[in-house]
Amino acid sequence: MMALRLGAILFGAALFLALPTVSDQGIVFLAGLVVIEAIFALSWNLLFGFTGLASFGHAAFFAIGAYLTGYGLKAGLGVPFLGLIAASGLLGALVAALTGLVLLRRTTGIHLAIFTLALAEVLRIVIGYSTLLGREDGLASIPKPTLELGFATIPLTSGTAYYYFMCVAGLVIGAVLWVVCHGPYGRLLVSIRQDPQRVAFLGVNVGRKRLQAFILSGAVAAIAGALYAPWAQIVTPESAHWIHSTQPMLASLLGGAHSFWGPVVGTVLFSIINYLTRNLVGLSELVIGATLLIIVLAAPSGVIGLVRTAQQRWSRRRKSGAGPDGDEGGSVRS
Amino acid sequence: MALTDILFALINGAATGSAVFLVAAGLTLIFGILKILNFAHGAFFMIGAYVAYSIIGSNPSSLHVFIAAAFAAAAAVAALGFVADRLVLRRLRHVDEAYMLIATFAVLLVCTGVVKLIWGVNYASINPPPLLDGAVTAGSLFVPSYSLFVIAAGLFVFLGLELVIHRTWIGKLLQAVASDSWMSGVLGINVPAALTVTVIASFALAGLAGGLLLANQTLSPILGESYLLLAFMAVIIGGLGNVRGAFIASLLLGTIESGSSLVIPNMPGMATYIFVILFLLAKPQGLIGGRHI
Amino acid sequence: MTAILSVEGVDKSYGTHHILKSVSLTVEDGETFAVIGPNGAGKTTLFKVMTGEIGFERGRIVYDGRDVSRAPAHERARLGMGRTFQVARIFPDVTVADNLTVAVEARRRSRGESAPAWYRVATRADIRAEVEARLLDVGLADKAAVEAKFLSHGDKKRLEFGIALAGRPRILMLDEPTAGMSPTDRIATADLIARLRAETGLTVVMTEHDMDVIFGLADRILVMNYGEIIAVGSIEEVRANPLVREVYLGQEIYHAER
Repeated sequence: MMALRLGAILFGAALFLALPTVSDQGIVFLAGLVVIEAIFALSWNLLFGFTGLASFGHAAFFAIGAYLTGYGLKAGLGVPFLGLIAASGLLGALVAALTGLVLLRRTTGIHLAIFTLALAEVLRIVIGYSTLLGREDGLASIPKPTLELGFATIPLTSGTAYYYFMCVAGLVIGAVLWVVCHGPYGRLLVSIRQDPQRVAFLGVNVGRKRLQAFILSGAVAAIAGALYAPWAQIVTPESAHWIHSTQPMLASLLGGAHSFWGPVVGTVLFSIINYLTRNLVGLSELVIGATLLIIVLAAPSGVIGLVRTAQQRWSRRRKSGAGPDGDEGGSVRS
Repeated sequence: MALTDILFALINGAATGSAVFLVAAGLTLIFGILKILNFAHGAFFMIGAYVAYSIIGSNPSSLHVFIAAAFAAAAAVAALGFVADRLVLRRLRHVDEAYMLIATFAVLLVCTGVVKLIWGVNYASINPPPLLDGAVTAGSLFVPSYSLFVIAAGLFVFLGLELVIHRTWIGKLLQAVASDSWMSGVLGINVPAALTVTVIASFALAGLAGGLLLANQTLSPILGESYLLLAFMAVIIGGLGNVRGAFIASLLLGTIESGSSLVIPNMPGMATYIFVILFLLAKPQGLIGGRHI
Repeated sequence: MTAILSVEGVDKSYGTHHILKSVSLTVEDGETFAVIGPNGAGKTTLFKVMTGEIGFERGRIVYDGRDVSRAPAHERARLGMGRTFQVARIFPDVTVADNLTVAVEARRRSRGESAPAWYRVATRADIRAEVEARLLDVGLADKAAVEAKFLSHGDKKRLEFGIALAGRPRILMLDEPTAGMSPTDRIATADLIARLRAETGLTVVMTEHDMDVIFGLADRILVMNYGEIIAVGSIEEVRANPLVREVYLGQEIYHAER
C-alpha cells in the first residue's frame, strides 16, 4: 500500500520532469498550469477536506498573489523573485487573517460560502477598476524572472527553466502541506472537520484553529497565483472570478477531498478531460459535470477513494476475511 | 443630480429587482422545501431563455407570442426539472451541505455544456415585442416599456406565489412540509409528492423567468451566471426559503445596484456585494428568519 | 469537603419555554453527583449550561473558585472539565487510536505540557504510551486500528469515555453514560466509573436513567421536574422524599419509557 503510493508519486513527479524533453510547448504550458492549479487546489482542500470549511471565493487569494508578483515583475521594482513570492504569500495570509477574523467568528456552511464569494467578487470589481492593475485588460507581457539565490543566479527566462522551477516549488509546497496535514496539527484539523464541538470540549479553541487554517490556505493560494503570473505572462480580473474559485472545488471532489493527494489527482484528470474534449465546444463542461455528479452521488470519496476501496477489497480477499485490515488512517489521510 | 435621475434610478432599480426576483423566486422555493441551494437554477433559467428564443427568434411578432413562448419555456424547463429531481436532487437530501452545492454546480456545468452543444457559443440578441419596444415618457422622464413589463411580471409572480402559499390547501401543505417534513409524513401528508410539486414549480419559474427576461439582453451560455449571483444574494438576505423576503430583498438589491450606478458608475455590482456582506454580518438569519416559505 | 462546581440561580429559556427556573446546586470535590428527573425536566439543558455548550440568562456558574459563566467550552475544558454526550460524539473517520491521540495532544498543548511540534508526523512514543493506557482503561486495546465509525454502539460510548479521560479532567460530566447499552455493558461502564473514581479522586456529575447505575455510583442525587429542583440529598433522603415519590410513582416514567 505504502510502496504503491510512493511509487505513484515518484512516477508522477518523473513524468512531469521528463515532459519538456518529450512533448511540445503547448503541452508543457498546460502541465505548468496543472502544477499551479494543483497547488491552488491543495490550498483549498486544506480548508475543506481537512478543516471542514468551504470557501467559495478562493480565487481572490490566487488573484492577490498573481497581481502582486505580476506587478512587481512588470514594474521592475528590483525585488528578487523569491521575495515577490514570499510577499504574495504574506499578503494572502494578511487578507485571510482580516477576512477570517470577521467571517469565521460565526459563519460556516452556506453563509461562509456566500460571504467568501461576495468578497472575491468585490476584489474582482476593484481590480477591474484599478488603472494601476490594468483595469479589465489586466497586466500583460509580464517578464519571466531571474532567480537570485545569493550564491548563484539562475535565469528562469526560458519556458523550460521556469517550468522546472515550478515543479520544484510545487514539490516543496506539496511536501510542507503534507507534513502539516499528517502531523498533530492536521490530526486536529481533521477532528474539527468531523465534530467541532467535540474538539472544543477537548480544550481547543476551535475558532482560532479555523482561522489559522484559513490563513495558511490563503497564503498558499496566493503563492500559487504568484507562480502563475510569470508563467501565463498575463493576469486578468478573471483570475478572481468565482468560476475560477470553483476549479479547486471540482478538482478536490473529483480526486477525493478526504485524501491529501485527491486535489492533485483531480486537477490532472480535469486537465486531461479538458484537453481531450478541446475540439467540441461544450463537451468538456458536459463530461466534467457528469463525472462530478457521478462522483458526488455514487463515490463521495472521489477517485482516490474508489481506488482505495478496490485495493482494500483485493487485499481482504487475499487475506481471506481476516478481520479489519490494518490500513491506519483509512478514509482521511494518506 | 436631478430629480428625474433619481426617479429613473428607482424605476430601473425596481425593474432590475423584479428581474432578480423572477430568478430568486424558484430558488428560494426549492430551498424552502428541499433545503438545497440550487446552483443549477441559473442554468435552467438560461435554458428557458434559449427555448423561448428558439420559438420566437430575434424579433417576436407580438406580445402574445412573447408571453406564450415564456410559458412554453416554463413547461419545457419544468419537464427537465422533473428529470433533474429524479436523477439528482432527490438523492442529495441526505448529503452534506457543501457536497450539495457542488452537485448542483455540476448540474450547472452539464447544462452549460448541453446549451453550448445545441445552440453554440455565439451571442444572440432579442428585441422586445412590438408593444414593449418603445418607451413611456412623462416630462423629462423616459422609461422603457419593457422595464415596466418586467416590473409587472415580477409583481404578478410574487402575488401569484403569495396567493398559492397562503391561501390554498397546497400552499398550507407545502408550508407544513417546509417547517417539518418528518412530522408532515407522520401526519399522513404525501411528502414525496409535495417535494416533486415544489421542484417542478421551482423549475417552471426558472424557465418562465428565462422567457420573460429574454429581450434586451445578450443571450449566451454565460447568461445563467449573471443573474444567479444576484438571485443567490437576494435569497440569502431575504431569509433562506422565504418568498416574501426574497421579493423585498430583490427590490432592495435592484435599487442599490441601480442607485449606485449613479454614484459609482464604473464599478457595477460593488455596492451590492458590500451591502450583502455588511447585512449578513449584522443579521445572518436574513430579513425574515424562521421556517416559512 | 470543598465545593468544586456550583450553579447559582440559573435561568434558561428557549423562546417562551422556561426550561431552567432559578436552578442552584453545589457539587463537592470528589463526590459523584447524579441528576435525575423525568424526560423534559431540564436535565440535559442543565448539563449544557454547566459545560458551556449553551449560554443562559441569569445566575452564575462557579468552578473551582472562579466564575466561568461566560467562559466558552474550550476554556472550561482547559480548567479541567471533561464531558461526554448523550449520543456518543467521536471522530468517525479516523481510527480508535487516533481519536485518543488527538485528545491527548490537545490536552498537552492546552495545559502547557510537552506536546509534539506540528512537523512530527510519526506519533511520539510517550503519547503512544498514554493512548495505549487509555485504550486499556476503556477496554478497546484490541480495536485500536479500527475506524471509529465501525464500532458498536457500546464501544462508541466507551471510546468517548476514553476521549474524555484523555483530557485528565478534575470533574467529569457524563450525560447518560449507559444509554442504549446492553445490561452487561452497563455494568462494565459503572465498574469503570467506580474504578477511575477510586484511582484518581475524580469528581463525577452524571445524568442517568438506569436506577441501578445511579444507586451503585452516586453519593448524592438531585431530582428535577419541570425545570425546578425538587429534592437533593443522599439516596435514602431522596427515596424518602414525598414529592419525589409523587413525581416518580405517580408517572412511572422509567418503566413506561423502556
